Amino acid sequence: MLKTFLASTVALAALTGAATAQDKKLVISVYGFAQDEFKEIVYDPFEAQCGCELVVETGNSVERLAKLEARKDDPEIDMAVMSTHDALAAARAEITQKIDVSRLSNYDKLYDIAKDPVGDNMGVGYTFYATSIAYRADEVTIESWEDLFQDKLKGRVAFPNVTTNQGPPALYMLGQAMGDDAASLEAPINKVAENKDDIVTFYVRSSQVAQLMQQEEILAAPIGRFAWGAYSKMGLDMAWATPKEGQTGGMNVMVLTKGAKNEDLAYDFMDFWLSTEIQTKLAEALVDSPANAEVEVADEIAENLTYGAETVKNLKLLPPDVILDNRDQWLDLWNEKVGQ
Amino acid sequence: MFQNRMEALALALPAALFAAFVFLVPVFILLSEGFRAEGAWTLAPYVDFFDSELNRTVFWRTLKLGAIVTAVSAVIGYATAWSIVTLPPTARGRMIGLVVMPLMISPVARTYAWIVILGRTGFVNQTLVGLGIADSPIRFLFTETAVFIGLLQLFLPLMILSLISALENMPKDAVPAARVLGANWLQVFFKVILPLTKEGLVIGGTLVFTGSLTAYITPAILGGSKVLMLETLLYQRVTVANDFASASIIAMILMVMSFSANLLLKRLATARNKR
Repeated sequence: MLKTFLASTVALAALTGAATAQDKKLVISVYGFAQDEFKEIVYDPFEAQCGCELVVETGNSVERLAKLEARKDDPEIDMAVMSTHDALAAARAEITQKIDVSRLSNYDKLYDIAKDPVGDNMGVGYTFYATSIAYRADEVTIESWEDLFQDKLKGRVAFPNVTTNQGPPALYMLGQAMGDDAASLEAPINKVAENKDDIVTFYVRSSQVAQLMQQEEILAAPIGRFAWGAYSKMGLDMAWATPKEGQTGGMNVMVLTKGAKNEDLAYDFMDFWLSTEIQTKLAEALVDSPANAEVEVADEIAENLTYGAETVKNLKLLPPDVILDNRDQWLDLWNEKVGQ
Repeated sequence: MFQNRMEALALALPAALFAAFVFLVPVFILLSEGFRAEGAWTLAPYVDFFDSELNRTVFWRTLKLGAIVTAVSAVIGYATAWSIVTLPPTARGRMIGLVVMPLMISPVARTYAWIVILGRTGFVNQTLVGLGIADSPIRFLFTETAVFIGLLQLFLPLMILSLISALENMPKDAVPAARVLGANWLQVFFKVILPLTKEGLVIGGTLVFTGSLTAYITPAILGGSKVLMLETLLYQRVTVANDFASASIIAMILMVMSFSANLLLKRLATARNKR
């Protein structure tokens, strides 16, 4: 009798224990980069604050989107971060739900462009970056996106592959420089195709460009501002171009999974991440440029970020629906003209 | 050894079932993707695949580079293996150690080393410009040449090792006998050494060719998106376009190419034998 009683008590305790742990668990899906910094600045302090367990899943956007889609009817992930166009794809696939921004106390502090970048409040921007041209100031001058094809840069320039997040925005700006801003990107892709033998490589990872620059293999390349830190430390005369057509870039947003099992915790976590304190710390660690307009950082930090109302206002971002609706055609055209 | 066949089969069953469920079934499911369109069995995806000029270019480039790497590594491999087997035992051991050593270094590290060596300011270009052979640095990186050099360095040791063991198993007096009977070195190689070491060549050739077809890191780093190979194209289809159907077609093509290469090499070897 005693045995049965003990056994059932243990079983009951185990069950309730499991249930509480389940209640206080938040599963998030994020990019694999800078996870040590995120753990220290965001995850650990949040766990301490909420008394819950935070499960972090990482991977590239395609893998993570595929996983979200596969578990659509029984989502294990509560919130995820992704690019604006991936967020739009997720919204269209009905994987995510509208975010009730009134539940985010830090929402009003965000720059306007970060407030509803996907539309219908299907995502809230938490960071963005400028894309422009990093170049060797002692060797060349760059004042326009078309200057990438100047004689001095023949055989000494890298360009982002159309498959990267930098590719389409860079092509779009090149189109602007050519006086053509059609969403088909046909003119700029043709321009790149004409010059493809003079382009050292179509890079897929920003770390690759840093290495080529360091080795003096290339003298210029369009890159995302988030990678700039590595260039400024190279001991070379590096400069960040401010082309007359302007700078482009990209934005990452937070999304809430449809049917998320821990919605309340997900809101708490998003609000925590958007707070001035956390956004400042992430900026100071050079992890993410702040989307929170109240963040203030020292000049030497700001130099490595996409920072300040003026910079943000002048970013020419490709709308997510333009990217999503044209991506396949861009890839086909690119493969046909450039990829051979 | 076993009392009856049933007993032996029963013992092999768990391993066979394991292999079937965790290997054959998933591979079948993966590869069958490429034969299905709108729920029906069809060859259309393959026709579409080869209809694209890019895919054809990548296919021929992969085949061409694989064949050249195999052929060049066979030539260098025979010369190296021959000079090693004729050494006294201690020196031979040391030389084999040197051949094996690169295999112990990660392909990523070896490939990155080539980026430095083949770069504008790298050793090769400095030498070429220094000796006056070239006026200005030559662009090697992100060309087929760079991928060829990387693959050759990656797989040459496998060819050398296969040929060393084949040459060691050759009767010691076969070559002197042929020489005494008046054969020149070319005849000795084609009529004596090659037929007697063909097994080693088949094994080495298969390893090098299959390795070159399926290598990912080397073409990705040294060729990039300008020198797409089937393996890098497969990666692009999956990670960028989320297009698993094309990826399974490429996987199937790679498998067929590997098996065909092995069969072809074996056929060549037996053909020589019959003559």
